[in-house]
Amino acid sequence: MVNIFKRIHKLRALLNVRIGPGAATLPSSSTATKDFPPITRLHLTYARKIYGGHQGARHFWRECLPRLKYYNPGVSMSVKQTTEQDGPATLTIYFDGEVSKTSSSGGGAGGAGAETDGYAPAATSTEKTASINLKDLDYQEIWRRVQAVTGASAVPSKPEEEAEMARYKALRGKAQEDRARVASIRQTKRDQERMLLEARGEVERLRQA
Amino acid sequence: MASYTAFLPSAARGVLPSCRVSLRERSIAPFLSVFQQQARGAKTSSKVDPAKAKRDNRSKDFKQQSLKDMEKFALCDAIRYIRAFEVGRDPSSTKYEVHIRLKSMRNGPVIRNMLRFPHAVQTESRICVICPPGSRSEKEALAAGAALVGEKDVFDAVKNGVIEFDRLICHPDSLEALNKASLGRILGPKGLMPSAKTGTVVEDVAMRVDMLRGGTIYRERDAVIRLPIGLLAFSPEQLRDNLRATLDQIKKDAAAINHIVNKEIYEVVLSSTHGPGLTLNGDFKSENSPSTADLSVL
Repeated sequence: MVNIFKRIHKLRALLNVRIGPGAATLPSSSTATKDFPPITRLHLTYARKIYGGHQGARHFWRECLPRLKYYNPGVSMSVKQTTEQDGPATLTIYFDGEVSKTSSSGGGAGGAGAETDGYAPAATSTEKTASINLKDLDYQEIWRRVQAVTGASAVPSKPEEEAEMARYKALRGKAQEDRARVASIRQTKRDQERMLLEARGEVERLRQA
Repeated sequence: MASYTAFLPSAARGVLPSCRVSLRERSIAPFLSVFQQQARGAKTSSKVDPAKAKRDNRSKDFKQQSLKDMEKFALCDAIRYIRAFEVGRDPSSTKYEVHIRLKSMRNGPVIRNMLRFPHAVQTESRICVICPPGSRSEKEALAAGAALVGEKDVFDAVKNGVIEFDRLICHPDSLEALNKASLGRILGPKGLMPSAKTGTVVEDVAMRVDMLRGGTIYRERDAVIRLPIGLLAFSPEQLRDNLRATLDQIKKDAAAINHIVNKEIYEVVLSSTHGPGLTLNGDFKSENSPSTADLSVL
């Protein structure tokens, strides 16, 4: 099995899932308000390559969706990766009951409206959907819009998590220094070996002569 | 020669021999070669000793690192993290897997067996049977649901790199033909080569096919047993049942070879196709875990 220290270091990824953009709880049936009804599921569609403005959508999946899933395990989230670069890059949000005011305004401040995404599963009779066109948006902008539409409340990071993050940042800085230091040591050693080899070559040549 | 250079200042010592070399080149060459030979001899003799010492010092057991600093998780918490990592992945192909680290000797027998989960992980594994064409066992194997039955055509397909099966069973009557076909190089590394030891050379082919279809084989490699234990769509309860069945079976396997070597479970790690490995602490839930109903939603 992999060395335990490597595994411990690998588990830093868990902290990354707990804090950062996307670390928020979506309104559920217990926390829903009139403006922000409970959310039942999310569906994301984007194309495989980044050209055509699909980059942000993919980053949103990579960056934000794991955090959203961590804090909202009961919300179903599906992702469809298509090969159509001209096709949609859309996030479809399924609400229980009424659609929130912001999202029903259609292409307003939230940027939500009736996008046609053929890959999104059909809404059931009790669900309403709102979709956001993600083309040419970066993932942070997408996250802002999602927050505006859904009314997701961000989960504040705990002080110990912040401290841990700062520690990792310091470690990264230290790693950079160490890399430079070790590289110089290796280079010196290599130079010495080269010089030794040259000197030996000299002796050899003298012996030949 | 070295005796009088030893009295010179170091700088002169560097210069003098180089002058001498140009004067007495013929005599210096044999001297040098003798020196080199000696050095080579000395080198080899010194090389043998540390290697031997190293071999003696190596522990007979696999090294067990302390799990003191390792964060441990309840099953539901581990599932929560893994589901976050697997978000948006194809649920039909992503699986939970478990890595069971054993306390074990480096040599000696290893655990290898097959088990049937309470909740099936793989819908079906494709089984290939090698038996003489036209025999009774061929008919039986086909009836039991083998994907591929044959002798010569199977060998040819394997030689061409077409391996469209997950298990390979051989009838003893065809064993000679199989050994003649020398497929060990291709099948061996994949763990598919039939042998009586693994129970894949059997008379009653049909029964074995039936058993293998629903079962998962596992084996210990470097003191770790790795096997898939569930689909991502499983609920925590289903996963717990499968995990419990796995651990019980492995404990039984360990008890079966108890008289030769002592093996015990040291660490259980839950992982997934794209997720990290999380060490389990043996609890099902902690107070912060979300409800199990929530954790069953994909």
